[in-house]
Amino acid sequence: MPSAVYTSPALTDTAQESEPQQFMRWQQRGDTAAREALVRRYMPLARSLARRYGRSSEPFEDLLQVASLGLLKAIDRYDADRGFPFKAFAVPTILGEMRRYFRDSGWAVHVPRSVQERALKVRGARETLTNEEGRSPTVQQIAQYLELDLEDVLEAIQAIQSYETISLDAPAPGADEDAATYGDSLGEEDQRYELVELGATVGSVMQSLPERERQILHMRFAQDLTQSEIAGRVGVSQMQVSRLLRRSLEQLRTLTGTPAEVG
Amino acid sequence: MPNLRLSLENRPENVLLVRRALGGVAETLGVDALTLNDISTAVSEACNNVVQHAYGGGPGPMEVEVYVEPDGLRVIVRDHGSGIRPRFDAGTSEQAIGGIGLPLMLALASRVEFGDPEGEGTEVRLEFEAAHSQAAPMPEGGSWTRRVASGGEEIVIDIAPAALVRTVLPRVVCALAARARFSIDGIADAQVLADSLAVHTGSVISATHLSLAISLEQRALDLRISPILTGHALDGVGSVLDRLAERYTVTPDGTSDVLAVRLAESR
Repeated sequence: MPSAVYTSPALTDTAQESEPQQFMRWQQRGDTAAREALVRRYMPLARSLARRYGRSSEPFEDLLQVASLGLLKAIDRYDADRGFPFKAFAVPTILGEMRRYFRDSGWAVHVPRSVQERALKVRGARETLTNEEGRSPTVQQIAQYLELDLEDVLEAIQAIQSYETISLDAPAPGADEDAATYGDSLGEEDQRYELVELGATVGSVMQSLPERERQILHMRFAQDLTQSEIAGRVGVSQMQVSRLLRRSLEQLRTLTGTPAEVG
Repeated sequence: MPNLRLSLENRPENVLLVRRALGGVAETLGVDALTLNDISTAVSEACNNVVQHAYGGGPGPMEVEVYVEPDGLRVIVRDHGSGIRPRFDAGTSEQAIGGIGLPLMLALASRVEFGDPEGEGTEVRLEFEAAHSQAAPMPEGGSWTRRVASGGEEIVIDIAPAALVRTVLPRVVCALAARARFSIDGIADAQVLADSLAVHTGSVISATHLSLAISLEQRALDLRISPILTGHALDGVGSVLDRLAERYTVTPDGTSDVLAVRLAESR
């Protein structure tokens, strides 16, 4: 790996030379100082390509190493006589190196897995931040908390929605051993989905529920209040809210299970 | 006609929206992650060019069209600005960072073309060969009238055919809800609504194309979805809307209807 190129930052006269002179001195005379000057000059290019092409799917430093290797290859092989600027040659060479690295390391295969891992982290962050703030966090808050970019968090949210591949009993990362598992928070989410699935037929049937249970359903699923918040408003315990929610949903399921009653 | 068109303002955050939409197209077509990364990176470069250079740093329209073709994917990024094309810069070290858009696109796409759309501006056409594994060719994109995003409707997205709605619509709606600073629970609601619409393709929304106009405020999204097929009374979508939308209306618009939905978070 090109670690040596980082270690001689001393500016020599070579650095003041023009680019064609530097290429000539390195390629024809083997002057490593000229090569180092070229590397320094084009390192921002390698860095920029690593950032644009790799996003955050790999540790950035790893990818930067691969990009630097690509840059060295480009510097060695560039032929100024062909009349193309170095950048036009360097960009595909560096990209080619990163692509090969991705292909060889099975990146396309493990990307879905890293998305899942991120989904677990996002889920954990959601729980932590919800507990801290007393309300559901924004994507921006989660991104900041996990030091991910928005796109990664959005991707993870998408993955959470199709969460069948995530182990529901895995403990939340960084959580205490007796802390909540993902399964706990999923119970709620299952209810939400269940209600939406029922939603197709549930409209008229809702009317058959007692007023208080309708209210609780509304608070939970339309106003998005937590069970504890609902408990505070309705004046019952959180356990009771949980029971009422479950009972309402069961009732709705029973009622909507009778096709004759559905308009 | 394209299978997907996004009519946007040239804001940096809209590049993310384009990437999310491309991710949706890739999922439907079975494009692998590596190829999607190539496509997204190249298209992002073309978009970034519109964001930074097309209007001298100011605001202006950015259009992105995706055509699914039997042998690959074609993406057009268009602006109506000064017509500055990406070019190779002389290689001083400062410029080595900027100005890599064109070589990047050339390296990642199988073909890059520049053209002048009617009037002023620049059109970048990017082609990606054999980008998808789907054996059956996609049906022709729907025919829709050109609509100019104006006033509060800054984002207009057309999707055709319906096969793309399932993977594109939720991604786009979630990205916008995130931008409007919805909580992650609110985003889940938005996704449920998007999924519900996608499921009712052919009964509530047209099977050939969907047009979505969106404007956003802090913690609120206004969506105008058309064409809504008349005579189905919103099928199952209605009850989801009852539950999740702050309000919604269906108004006639020619032969079909327009569904206007407001999603908002109260906190």
